[in-house]
Amino acid sequence: MKKKVTKLFGIVAACVLSMSMLMGCGTGAATDAPASTEAGSETTDAGKTVKIGVLVADVSGEEAQGFRSYYENYVAANYNVEFDYTDALQSAEEEKSAIEKFASQGCDAIISLSSSDRAMQIETCEDYGVYYAIASGVLDDEQYETYKGYEYFVGQVGPSNETEFMAGKAMGEYFKNQGVSSVAMYGAFIPNPMHVYRAAGVIAGLGDTYGGTDDMGAIVGQIFEDQGVDISKVEGDVNLVAYLQGYGDTTTDELNAAIQKNPEAFISVGMATTFFTQPLNEAGIPFSDIDSFTSMNGSAIKEGKLCYLAGKYSSSIGPTFALVMNAVNGNVIRDSEGNAVSFSQNYLVATDGDTFDTYFVSDNGDAPIYDKETLDSIIGEDVTYDDLAALISSK
Amino acid sequence: MGAKKYEGKKLSKHSVGQFLISALPFFALVVLFIVFCVVVQAKGYRLDRYLEIVFDEGVVLAVVATGAIFIYTLGTFDISLGASTLFSATMGVMVYNATENFLLMILVIFASGIMCSLFNSVLASVFHIPAFVTTVAMMSVLSAIAGQIITTNGGALGGISIPSAIVKPLDVPSVKIILLAVFFLLCLFVFNYTKVGRRQKFIGGNPLCATLTGIKYNKYAIIAFVMAGLGVGLGALLTLIYTPSVTTTTASSIGMNIFIAIVFGGMPISGGARSRIYAALVGGFSYMLLNDVLELVIDSSAAYGLTQVISAVFFLAVVYITGMNYRTKMLPR
Repeated sequence: MKKKVTKLFGIVAACVLSMSMLMGCGTGAATDAPASTEAGSETTDAGKTVKIGVLVADVSGEEAQGFRSYYENYVAANYNVEFDYTDALQSAEEEKSAIEKFASQGCDAIISLSSSDRAMQIETCEDYGVYYAIASGVLDDEQYETYKGYEYFVGQVGPSNETEFMAGKAMGEYFKNQGVSSVAMYGAFIPNPMHVYRAAGVIAGLGDTYGGTDDMGAIVGQIFEDQGVDISKVEGDVNLVAYLQGYGDTTTDELNAAIQKNPEAFISVGMATTFFTQPLNEAGIPFSDIDSFTSMNGSAIKEGKLCYLAGKYSSSIGPTFALVMNAVNGNVIRDSEGNAVSFSQNYLVATDGDTFDTYFVSDNGDAPIYDKETLDSIIGEDVTYDDLAALISSK
Repeated sequence: MGAKKYEGKKLSKHSVGQFLISALPFFALVVLFIVFCVVVQAKGYRLDRYLEIVFDEGVVLAVVATGAIFIYTLGTFDISLGASTLFSATMGVMVYNATENFLLMILVIFASGIMCSLFNSVLASVFHIPAFVTTVAMMSVLSAIAGQIITTNGGALGGISIPSAIVKPLDVPSVKIILLAVFFLLCLFVFNYTKVGRRQKFIGGNPLCATLTGIKYNKYAIIAFVMAGLGVGLGALLTLIYTPSVTTTTASSIGMNIFIAIVFGGMPISGGARSRIYAALVGGFSYMLLNDVLELVIDSSAAYGLTQVISAVFFLAVVYITGMNYRTKMLPR
């Protein structure tokens, strides 16, 4: 009897616990949603609220949170728009499922910050008749040629592969001009294409060759084949003494081994401040990174050894919002040939704390670089491709 | 006489209790389905589309996990099934891109799935290496090989793919339902109506006893892994039908979700006589419905990972409740 009572109590307790957690969460969601809607309706234009789904692969990084904050706290407060974010999407299947859910929920447009399979994303949005734009990274040339004529693909705004290469090249040139003769390199998440192009750029910027060439396409092709940078293939005046990539159990050992080789600089194509700030500061090795204008990077450049940062800023995704907002309101902006637009955005570079603050402070709070006044100039019935091109190239 | 009557009463009471607990996974599936429909309707979303989404999310898991039931019944397990699915899909894409022959692609997908599984079974049954060790090793090996192929051939795209027009006509519920039904009926037949299933349950329940009665473990282990390989092949094909591209993260969650699906379906991980072929099907869809209900109810910005915490609580509750069925002094019947 006693046993039965214990069992019964166990079941009831488990059910109550589960249900209370579920209901507790439901209450939170229910109270959150109207709050953001109210916030939006106070200051926005009248009419139907535009629903935009956002596909995200990274939900915890400082850059990702900066992007989200800009859309949810600034844009949503100034326009009659509601953003709905996915959880961290890890595969093409999850991306497709998320798009289908957004379409079922009546979303008017989808903005993509996730890149497992962009071609599939475009095709799925086309099937469901939902406008689609890319806010981070761009399609490769062949894919863009394939999809640029799709009715619901409105365009892409972000650093192109060439821009990534040039950002890496500028970083390499910076150190070469400083007169360094030996460097270590962190390839971040190669074979992630963005990191491959940056790494290729760094090698070219240092004035070195990879497998006997300094041509972008040739270096990139070899890095993809090698699945990383093979230091035996790097030749030139600046010696690449150590190379590491990825992040796992052995990364700390690899970093320590790289530090032991006494490089004059540590060049990273991404995430260095997140992973390596402390050991590099302790070792006194100047380092560089391609990341974002975030508070963590601010501390690293002001108090640490970060000496070069090529970064994006939170409101850089503003033009993508303008593109989809125009499309939803009936003004689907096309380039001169009638295709989906493709704009490349450059990185901003800071080599000291003051320059960093210029970009960081001016893009935060109530006055982002793409503020309401700026966005208003590219949102509307009469906005053209040239208006967008002029604004984006001016930033 | 009185003692006999008491024993009979006790037995029938026990049987009723056992039946109720056995029926619990079905009951949970129905309840979750109703809750899901209510939540989707209350939110004003399109229920027909949402049901299709849940089916698409659950069908690959259900297929791969149904094949895996044969392995779990033996009291062992295979954690490399997700990696095998990725590997099979990768091989299929490579073969299609080289030959543009869709039928050959399907053959290669199934052959790859079965080969991966057979390799595991040879290591486990012939060389007597514990399945846990071999499948963990195989998971790493298969992921690495597939990753190498994908990144080398995918280049800047980050993945490899076949033209979507090839599989688009198949990306409809009717085709997937037919494939799922055919595979499930095949498994049901082998598991419940042939000596293979009965002997596998016997081995899972008591391997020593099974050996002493002349049952050859190796033979039934190989059959189990072949059935799982068929599930992997079909899972890989369904994955390609849904998204015609393969990246390094394709099918990455399947390996662990199989555990959850089987437990949600009311089957003990230890296998044996209480193994049920329907467990993966019922559990797989229950798990997907639960995830989707939580996703709909919980604001994603409220707290990342909260849905996983709640899923874990449900998981523990299900294990506890279904476990009551096993904790008995009587032999399973």
